[in-house]
Amino acid sequence: MEITPLTYEILLALADENRHGYGMIKEIEGRGGTPPSTGAMYLALHRMSAEGLVKEVPAPSDSDDARRKYYALTSRGQEAAERETRRISRLLETARAKKLGKEDAA
Amino acid sequence: MTRALLRSILRLGPAVFRERYGAELLAVHDERAREPRSVPARAVFACREVAGLIVAQTRYLALRRRWARRHSGAGAVGRAFAGLGGDVRFGLRTLGRSKGFAAAAIAVLALGIGANSAIFSAVNAFLFRPLPFDDADRLVMLYETNPEFGWEHAQAAPANVLDWREQVDALEDVALYSDFVDEATLILDGEPELLGIASVTGNFFDVLGARPALGRGLSWDETWEGRDGVVVLSHSAWQRHFGGDPEIVGRSISAGTETRQVVGVMPEGFAFPSDDVDIWAPWGWEQGAREQVWFRRAHFARPIGRLAAGVDATRADAALQVVVERLKIEYPETNRVMGAGLMPLRDFLIKDVRAPLYVLVGAVGLLLLLACINVANLMLVRASDRARDVALRLAVGAGRGRVARQMLVEGGLLALVGGALGLALGWIGVRALSTQRSVGIEGATEIALDARVILFTFAAAVSSALLFGIVPALRAARGDVQESLKEGGRAGGAGRRGLRTAGTLVAGQVAVTLLLVLGAGLMVRTFLELRSVDPGFTKESVLAVQFSVPAGRYDHRDDVLAFQDEFARLLEARPGIERVGFVARPPLGGQNWSSQFQAEGWPPERVGVEIWHRRADEGYFEALDIPLIRGRHFTPDDGPEAPLVVVINETFASQHFPGEDPIGQRIAYDRSATAESIWYEIVGIVADQHQRTLTEPPHAEAFENRRQDWGRTNWAVVKTGGDASSAGGAVRAVLAEMDPLIPIEAMRPMQEVWRSSMARWEFLLTLLGVFAVSALLLAIVGVYGVTAQAARKRTHEIGIRVALGARTVEVLGLVLRQGLTFVGAGLVVGVGLSLVATRAISSFLYGVEPTDPLTIGLVVGLLAAVGLAACLVPARRAAAVDPASSLRSE
Repeated sequence: MEITPLTYEILLALADENRHGYGMIKEIEGRGGTPPSTGAMYLALHRMSAEGLVKEVPAPSDSDDARRKYYALTSRGQEAAERETRRISRLLETARAKKLGKEDAA
Repeated sequence: MTRALLRSILRLGPAVFRERYGAELLAVHDERAREPRSVPARAVFACREVAGLIVAQTRYLALRRRWARRHSGAGAVGRAFAGLGGDVRFGLRTLGRSKGFAAAAIAVLALGIGANSAIFSAVNAFLFRPLPFDDADRLVMLYETNPEFGWEHAQAAPANVLDWREQVDALEDVALYSDFVDEATLILDGEPELLGIASVTGNFFDVLGARPALGRGLSWDETWEGRDGVVVLSHSAWQRHFGGDPEIVGRSISAGTETRQVVGVMPEGFAFPSDDVDIWAPWGWEQGAREQVWFRRAHFARPIGRLAAGVDATRADAALQVVVERLKIEYPETNRVMGAGLMPLRDFLIKDVRAPLYVLVGAVGLLLLLACINVANLMLVRASDRARDVALRLAVGAGRGRVARQMLVEGGLLALVGGALGLALGWIGVRALSTQRSVGIEGATEIALDARVILFTFAAAVSSALLFGIVPALRAARGDVQESLKEGGRAGGAGRRGLRTAGTLVAGQVAVTLLLVLGAGLMVRTFLELRSVDPGFTKESVLAVQFSVPAGRYDHRDDVLAFQDEFARLLEARPGIERVGFVARPPLGGQNWSSQFQAEGWPPERVGVEIWHRRADEGYFEALDIPLIRGRHFTPDDGPEAPLVVVINETFASQHFPGEDPIGQRIAYDRSATAESIWYEIVGIVADQHQRTLTEPPHAEAFENRRQDWGRTNWAVVKTGGDASSAGGAVRAVLAEMDPLIPIEAMRPMQEVWRSSMARWEFLLTLLGVFAVSALLLAIVGVYGVTAQAARKRTHEIGIRVALGARTVEVLGLVLRQGLTFVGAGLVVGVGLSLVATRAISSFLYGVEPTDPLTIGLVVGLLAAVGLAACLVPARRAAAVDPASSLRSE
């Protein structure tokens, strides 16, 4: 399965807690990422749920709006997030070994 | 506003996505929209939201396809076909967008495929389908030949066949049957019913390897008089006349003059020698017939043999020749010039239809070829219209294979729909064909669409899909993206190479069309020639009616003659009836029998061979306006007891009495007259009539007098003051008045007899005509398409020329020259091909040569005119180009 940057962003957003759509956008925005368009995000969600990476879950009891749909990582989603993270880490190590991405490298 | 936009975009997109995520998506969008933003940021946000949703929905379709592939669990092979469903959907959508193109392509294909499957069905029925007999490959037809009389596949004299049967070891057995189906009246519940009777030898069914469904067949002993009171019924006669009575075997029926016992019923579908046979009955020859000279002289029975195991037809023929030579020496009087031969049954059955079938197969093959060329051309034009689109898809990374496959799928879709429609057309065509007896052979096989035909049709469809899908596909796969983008961008037309391909196709199309139109043209000329042939009689307002005066109630000769005379008298007394006469068989209906003759006083070595005979009376000549050249007609005074008289035709007189006066000469129908010879005096000479077909010259013929050489079955010819068929009621009324138990066996206006004698040509003409017109239409589409495309490609150039002061005529010429180059090349090639190809139909031509310069000239002229007209439309459009706008179109 293909993990696009947006897929990875969503996997990260859901890694620590279940969120609704708007929550995910705020989470991505909050850590300084570029939030996707709403349409693009729902398409990604659609695809990820079809691939079994995320699932719909009931809203938590302390939710501000019970009508909202919440999403959670499946175990497969968890696995995919970890695998992708390892892959990116390896790439980062390589990049660093080649002195890429450092402020003073330019 | 952004929200409304998003909502409409959602509504345009796939329902599944909208239903599942639509509301939620909008809710989230609303929340985000409420966030404080600067005015420019709000604009960026709105744009991103709208664009994002459009991209998302478009990608959704692609995704669905990918999931479908994954969930079908396809392996490597599956992946090769993966996405086919999407290609098909995409193909349907693009075809749906260009309905004109799709309709044209489908119609063209349906036409080609339909015609092909109909004609192939006929060919299949005749040439490929197994005959419904056991070991049909071992069945051979035997025939006698006589080079002196021009007999090639003649019926045989029974005595000769009996000798072959016993003396040729290569033949396991030989049976004899009458291929002229006789008719007999069967009286059931007081109603007369006509039955077709075929006379056969007792071993007939055994030789064919056919077993009855009920009861038994016949045995060899039953061939002969005394034991011949048995019959076998056909399945249809059993159903029709006896209600399928299971107790039929053993019942006695009165057929014709005698009562016979039913011993068996044949299974459904057994119809040999023809569908008209209701009853197979033994010949009933007298035991001593073999020793009598007539049994070796009268050639009236059709022999069919079964080869001995392991013997082929060639060897059997060689063995037959040995016996034939022996018989020549043994019976010089009858057999001196008689030869014999044999050929496999199938070859014999199709010997007369083979040539027209091959012509049709050839013509229809050409038509399918044309259809494919045309669709290929349509596809090419379309491909060039889409060249930019394809190039764009290649540029953004679509695989070349993928793009090519998409085009093949489009072609395949067209072929499938066209093939299905074609099959429907073919079914209609088959129904039309099977009612055409003129190409049909009697009995053994029937035309029907079957699995093989359906297979053939779809093979044709698929191969044309490949044929016309592959050219644009190859071009797409090979295409130079940058080049296409540039070319397409400038003129929206095909590349130079594409135009050349299309032009070559059109030239080929014109050539093939020329062949078909020329074939049809030659048939038209033939048909006109045939129609202008004087048949030798008046065909208008004459009705021919066949009936028999049955034995039993009219036993004596005088009873029969009195009945016939009374019939004529009563009918002539009716209003509107001018003259009534009798003849054994009307003209253009075949010959009766033939013989040799000798005139009184001729030296023994002088003999007239192959003269034909017919029974007639003076009423016949008068009703048909057959002129009396010399002498006199028969008169009622030439009664049964009066001296025998005969009327001959002009050909007889000029052939056998050159420079002599035949009137008053006495002739006997013997090779050498003897004391027992029966002498006829020639009293009159009448003008020639065409006896069998209009193409055959009249044959020497003698008319015997109905009152002297009398017969129970005759045709009454009825001349009316007006419409021939109006006499039908009077004929029925008179016959019913005289004897309600006598059925009318046939009733045909002479006009129709004349017409149906041309049926074979009419049939070929009709089909070739339809093919030619179709071809012409296809050619117009092709020429127009290519010229229009070429003109469009040069719009820019033409605009410059017009701007520089070119006159309309010059622009017209420019475009016309290009289109007419293709047409001209096609015509030259077509005429060249035709010199060889029209030989195939030379045997169907009458009064015109296959290379007739006038017809070729007319056809070339016609095609040139049609080609010019097809080029003229785009040429005029080009000439009307506004230079400013054409230059701007860059």
